[in-house]
Amino acid sequence: MIALNNSKTWKLSSYLIALVLMVPVLVMLVGGVSASTQLFAHLWQTVLPSYLENTLLLAFWVVLLALIFGVFSAAIITQTNIVFKKQLRWLLLLPLAMPAYLVAYLYTDLFDYAGPVQRSLRAWFDWQSPSDYWFFDIRTLPGAALMLALVLFPYIYMLTRGAFEQQDQNLIRASRLLGLTAKQSFFKIALPLARPAIAVAASLVLMETLADFATVQYFSVNTLTTAIYDTWLGYGDLGAANALASVLMLLVLFVVLAEQKSRAGLRHQSARPNLNRDLIKLSVGQQIIASTFCWALVIFGFLLPLTLLIVMAIEYSDIAQLSVLMSTGVNSLKISVIAATVAVLIALSLGLYQRLHSDKYRQLPQQISGFGYAVPGTVLAMAMLSTLGPIDHWLNGAVEVLGFTAPGLILSGSLFAIIFALVVRFSAIANGTIISGIKQIPQSLDYAPASLGVNLKGSLTKVHLPILTPAIFVAWLLVFVEAMKELPAVLLLRPFNFETLSSQIYQLISDEMLEQGALGAILIVLFGLLPIVLLNKSKEKV
Amino acid sequence: MTVLLTIQQLSVKLQDKLVLSELDLTLNEGDILGLVGASGCGKTTLLNAIAGFNKPSEGQIAIDGHLLSDGENCLPAEKRQVGMIFQDYALFPHLTVKENIAFGIAKLSKTEQVEQINHLLTILKLNDLGESYIHQLSGGQQQRVAIARALAPKPKLLLLDEPFSNIDARLRNELMVEIRLLLKQFKMTAIFVTHNKDEVFTFADKMAVMAQGRLLQIDAPSIICRQPNSYQVADFLQLGSWLPCQVNSTGAHSLLGELETELIKGEKTRLLYLLVKPQQLTLSVTIDDKNKANAQVEYISVTEQGYHYYLRSIDTPSTDSTLVFNKISLYSNVALTIKQQVLLQIKPHELLFFEYNPL
Repeated sequence: MIALNNSKTWKLSSYLIALVLMVPVLVMLVGGVSASTQLFAHLWQTVLPSYLENTLLLAFWVVLLALIFGVFSAAIITQTNIVFKKQLRWLLLLPLAMPAYLVAYLYTDLFDYAGPVQRSLRAWFDWQSPSDYWFFDIRTLPGAALMLALVLFPYIYMLTRGAFEQQDQNLIRASRLLGLTAKQSFFKIALPLARPAIAVAASLVLMETLADFATVQYFSVNTLTTAIYDTWLGYGDLGAANALASVLMLLVLFVVLAEQKSRAGLRHQSARPNLNRDLIKLSVGQQIIASTFCWALVIFGFLLPLTLLIVMAIEYSDIAQLSVLMSTGVNSLKISVIAATVAVLIALSLGLYQRLHSDKYRQLPQQISGFGYAVPGTVLAMAMLSTLGPIDHWLNGAVEVLGFTAPGLILSGSLFAIIFALVVRFSAIANGTIISGIKQIPQSLDYAPASLGVNLKGSLTKVHLPILTPAIFVAWLLVFVEAMKELPAVLLLRPFNFETLSSQIYQLISDEMLEQGALGAILIVLFGLLPIVLLNKSKEKV
Repeated sequence: MTVLLTIQQLSVKLQDKLVLSELDLTLNEGDILGLVGASGCGKTTLLNAIAGFNKPSEGQIAIDGHLLSDGENCLPAEKRQVGMIFQDYALFPHLTVKENIAFGIAKLSKTEQVEQINHLLTILKLNDLGESYIHQLSGGQQQRVAIARALAPKPKLLLLDEPFSNIDARLRNELMVEIRLLLKQFKMTAIFVTHNKDEVFTFADKMAVMAQGRLLQIDAPSIICRQPNSYQVADFLQLGSWLPCQVNSTGAHSLLGELETELIKGEKTRLLYLLVKPQQLTLSVTIDDKNKANAQVEYISVTEQGYHYYLRSIDTPSTDSTLVFNKISLYSNVALTIKQQVLLQIKPHELLFFEYNPL
């Protein structure tokens, strides 16, 4: 074993940090599973089957639509000579920046019975009532699925595109020499080879769908997330909410396991990508169909909603709105800055521990701390309440016994709970970025300082941290942006009268008054664009 | 000569696997030792144990009389006064050349640091590159910086882990000569690891051959080449070809004829392998009843001086199968053809027999 650092304090603190990050979810799972069989029986007899059915149906439709959008667009961009390919290549990533609930609201506004589209159609064709024509009802489960698929398909597009681009072109050329047409070799070689990447991407979409709260809530589609929210905030039943959250958590765990199995198949990808691809030459008709398909995704997934928001902002913005925006913006900034800083510090500490400590299981704390990435915000919020609530009660009791006034809910009713939840949820993002930064540092640079008489502290401050600065910055930025966008955990955990940009916009959407928060919504979208720009840059480098 | 490095009964386990086993080594002050061996034989592990990056499970390492590790206690790497030049140089990419060199001498005063850096920059011909970053330098320049950085803290012992493997073959020899002169100028004791024996001949005063975590032989390169102490050493260094012989106290019988030797004791006939160097063979292409062919050409390559051949024995049904040879190496300026039959003879010389014991 390499005689690296063997500090016991570092070891203890690393395991402690990992444990603290994992404990709330464990407490919730234990609480949920051991709640009472009676409670589960009651839930099963009443609402659970329909919640489960809706959740699974929604997941099925979202994944199916996202697969159609993502795989076809990736295939068109990588395999054909479509015009404006260079632009479409990155434009197709942009819908990822658009929160699904914003798209849901904007399209409901646009395509609903009272919206401008149906109004115009009625005027043009002289239809008098809904019975005179058929129009797609957007506020339904398939409607919610379409909204989610429109903003989640870039996950599939991005990973599938990467898989296609990494494929060894000699395989395709060999299949052509063996008599396959370009189209046949795509379906028989390229697509099967990309299957593991597509499966990974589909499971990411599935996880995001299971975690979605605001879209389904707005469309009144009762899924497990909305049920958890209603059970806790509507009925104050922590036990039942915990039980539902545990069911959702088990579903997510199932997806995570499936995703990891798919990842194992990624080894089939070639390490010898060849950028000189033999492209399928599209006829004029095919160019029109392919272009319409790709541009429709960009327009409906990003450009149209953004335009609608900009129009709203121009029409309705005023000084009062700006001051509200300022105060909620500052709140968002506050929690996001703290969460990003804490998450990055933890990721750095655990990442360097993994690299430099002599502990045989040194990767364990970092792996445990990344567990929260799969936990939906709603579940995490329940976990925080289940863990921090009893601690608060115990603290208050203890303080009262000592003769002081009880301080109240200092953990579960303060920003602490939100920040804690954000750190648990997004630590994996910081971990991933920092670890990949650390991996770029050659192992010999760990040893070189010692060979020059410099100890570990000097090595960290003079070598590792300066080299890691770009990774630290990117990790911080990614967590910051995700924290700015996070909604369900903030909604359930925020202290009284505390609004963030996302919670305020959700509130306005619920009250059908998004116009009042259009500026804030644009701000969230712009923040959402930052990681996409970073992501696209790193992909371009590959 | 003063002994600088003493290693006694050193064993190192990595992930429960014994990588170094009861290894002994001493090195005099100012000596340059070239450590050769096949991949995975433990060369780099030995360097890491001396540097303090691997903790020995048993044995002692001492430098200049100071114990560095004794199986239980292990002095941290930064306190050993052992410098190292890594295979990939491990230069800090975020620092300039000067800052890299200054890294290990931060405890000196600013004036002393500047003096030391300038001195090294001059000696290593890096004067104009002090403010450059590492990615702006060529491979050779990077290596000079790595040397300057390692020499700056004035280590007692310098370890070099395959330092020439990243250098263009054309420049390698020139650079090796230059660096050897530099180390001699600094009176530096050094151990360098390589898998290329030719580098040892150019660079080192002493050569150590390692296999499976043990030192097989350590001596001056010329002595090892003349007198390898085992089949493994001669085979790894490719000092010649192997001719199987049935040997007893009266002599040695091979398919190239009878060989006289008085060195082998004992009555029993044993199968041993004679180390045959190309210059110890004579070739005759005139074949008749008196001079019967005993080998045929299997492979031909052209060299600057003539030709290089591999020859195999001509086997008949009565040939003792244990004596068959199939790859005797021979250099000659006589042009032969594939399958051409020739007469090979061994010139009288000091015969070196070994028991078959490959790596």
